[in-house]
Amino acid sequence: MRNADRKAIVFAIAALCLALPIRSVGQELSKEATDKAAAEARAKRNAQTFELNASTIVFYDRTGKRIGGPIGERAMYGGAVISPDGSRVAVVKADLPNESADVFVLDISNGATTRLTTSARTEFVQGPIWSPDGSKIAYVAMRKGQEGIYLRAASGQGAEELVWRNTGAFINLSDWSTDGKTLTFSFSDMKGGTLYTLPLEGAPDRKATEIFKTELQLFGSRFSPDGRFLAYTVVDKTNKGEVFVRPADPAASGGPWQLSEGAIGVPFFRRDGKEIYYLARDRAVMAVDVTTATSFSFTNRRVLFKPQGAVPEIVRAISADGERFLVVPPPRGPQLQQLTIFDRTGSVLQKIGEPGLYSQPAFSPDGSRLLVVKNDVQSAQADYWTIEIATGKPTRLTNDTFGKAAALWSPDGKYIYYSSFRNGDFPIYRRLTDGTGGEEFIFQYTPGAFLGPSDISPDGKWLICDAGGYVITVPLTGDAKSRKEVETLRDEYLNTLGRLSPDGNFIAYRSDEAQPERGEIYVRPFKAATAETGDGKWRLSKDGVVAMLHWHGKEVFWRGLNLESNDLWVMAVEVTTSPTFSVGTPKMLFKLPGPIGGNLGNISRDGQRFVFAVNVSAPAPTTAPR
Amino acid sequence: MNRRILIAFAFALVPLAHEVLAHHNMTAIFDFNDRVTVTGTLSKVDWRNPHIYLTVDVAKAGGAMETWQAEGPSPTWFRIRDIGKDDFANSIGKSFEVELSRARDKTPTGLIRTITMPGGKVVSACPQNC
Repeated sequence: MRNADRKAIVFAIAALCLALPIRSVGQELSKEATDKAAAEARAKRNAQTFELNASTIVFYDRTGKRIGGPIGERAMYGGAVISPDGSRVAVVKADLPNESADVFVLDISNGATTRLTTSARTEFVQGPIWSPDGSKIAYVAMRKGQEGIYLRAASGQGAEELVWRNTGAFINLSDWSTDGKTLTFSFSDMKGGTLYTLPLEGAPDRKATEIFKTELQLFGSRFSPDGRFLAYTVVDKTNKGEVFVRPADPAASGGPWQLSEGAIGVPFFRRDGKEIYYLARDRAVMAVDVTTATSFSFTNRRVLFKPQGAVPEIVRAISADGERFLVVPPPRGPQLQQLTIFDRTGSVLQKIGEPGLYSQPAFSPDGSRLLVVKNDVQSAQADYWTIEIATGKPTRLTNDTFGKAAALWSPDGKYIYYSSFRNGDFPIYRRLTDGTGGEEFIFQYTPGAFLGPSDISPDGKWLICDAGGYVITVPLTGDAKSRKEVETLRDEYLNTLGRLSPDGNFIAYRSDEAQPERGEIYVRPFKAATAETGDGKWRLSKDGVVAMLHWHGKEVFWRGLNLESNDLWVMAVEVTTSPTFSVGTPKMLFKLPGPIGGNLGNISRDGQRFVFAVNVSAPAPTTAPR
Repeated sequence: MNRRILIAFAFALVPLAHEVLAHHNMTAIFDFNDRVTVTGTLSKVDWRNPHIYLTVDVAKAGGAMETWQAEGPSPTWFRIRDIGKDDFANSIGKSFEVELSRARDKTPTGLIRTITMPGGKVVSACPQNC
């Protein structure tokens, strides 16, 4: 059967079902059939995830020139650490079906792979580090719900040995001292970070020593080769990282010394203790001359090399001799995005500007401008910009290092509302779209709770938000600090993407009510006076919904679930809301070659234009040294 | 892929990793290093997203009662594992044990690590909540 025929039948059946209220479409499949379908869907999702993320390992030399070919099979690599003699790499590989991750050792000369750990389902290993003689590997593993630091021979022989049981969570194991006697690790959470050392002698009651504690997050502690100092990275509350060094003995005086002026990576000591490396914000590999002979001092901070290209690759690990730099290249090569406007058939209407690192394009209410997130590799920032569609003229709206999500235009086009990740919270702000003025605080929900705007009522009085599994509505009237949310769609199902009808009397949303791990679109009456839902519920989709829910005029649009490829399916269905709610037959408007993202601003309010950030290959990185 | 594996890969893929957040900031509210096992009578089940809440009445030494609130994963998390609201609702009034990461404010609340149902079945919320 041709795919098109199959879809026609599917949609015909869907149309018959969707014309009925929700309670009449419930009993469709037996539990066994549902479970089987869910398992098949999960397997296909895993295959897609693997295809999009699996890569190999390559090396640069000290001048930024690539050495040799790729090493190892395609895999989803996590941590990667080069052995002390430079001949092997310990890597963490994800196992998607098993929902686990394990440590493997790759021989650089021939790619031979040795499996070190085998985790149970949903358990995992992370943070491998080498013993100084290369004979063992230490790692953090979750075993039967308990996190611990374990050791195992790098040859894969013998059993793993528990070194230290963590009564808490989130160990970042990062180095093994040159004398082989001590490990260093850190904990970081939203309350801050703590740096520790752990003596390997004294089993079984080893006691970790707290070196220091900070209200900021810290990662990647590394011993100086003489064991007297620790280098580490701290991230401040504006999301900026810096590399510091301090004595490994908490009682010792001196330090900390800040080595960097902007860092996005963890530090590496060279084996002789005379150089420290880290990544600058623009992904350049930095080198700093250091001495630990008496006290610590440093000089001559410089760029060793910078991976070339529009999207420079990120160095993940550095060999102990400072000669090899490990990279996991992006699976499809470096990618940029071309902002492209399509018509209802999927034909290109217009390309906006040159390719860049764009995401989340969203039409302004009058359709004359786009709001986009633009990533800047040089500053490692992602900021909101508007672009005039007719002229391509850009206007910068934000200029900060905070994470950002879920921006919306206000109905009058004067503001954007957006969620900003700050100190573990997601407060919502708004800004003028002409680029003037500062940000204005709108709402703060439960501490640490994700909150992303998904719609604004036509009268501008209500802000609809995703609260990480349910939909709340925030009044935009009154004093910002005294606003109280309404739980509009909160039940036992994952409800997201709340979007109001043009008249504001109905709310469409995505829910996993019909089947876990799969969303469909439902509609309920929305009471504009109270932001509560009324009686009645209708299901609009039947074959799965990923994202991109829009309600413009008499049409509801969404991104259809496609488990067969990464192509983007744009779906639409006609609805009427008066005198009663009714649903037409869903249809596919068009599909685009993927991978490509969909969000809540892709469709113009007249339902005629569709904007996407389409992936295009960036110029390949050169091997020229810098 | 579960939350902890995502954390592990976040560390690897983005050098300055941040904790992958759940629906709220678990580590800001709960102390993963302060664990407590609570045994009592299950008196209430709040089966809503993003987290279920179980209310357990515990008899303290001397006879006074203390009410504990235990926060668990989402109903969907349980659905995927073939555990439904009824499995808990049918346990109301029965003996119940939960191992918790205690709230930092030291109130009788915590984040569920494991649940021991009246019939002895153990449900682990790890690695999500560990």
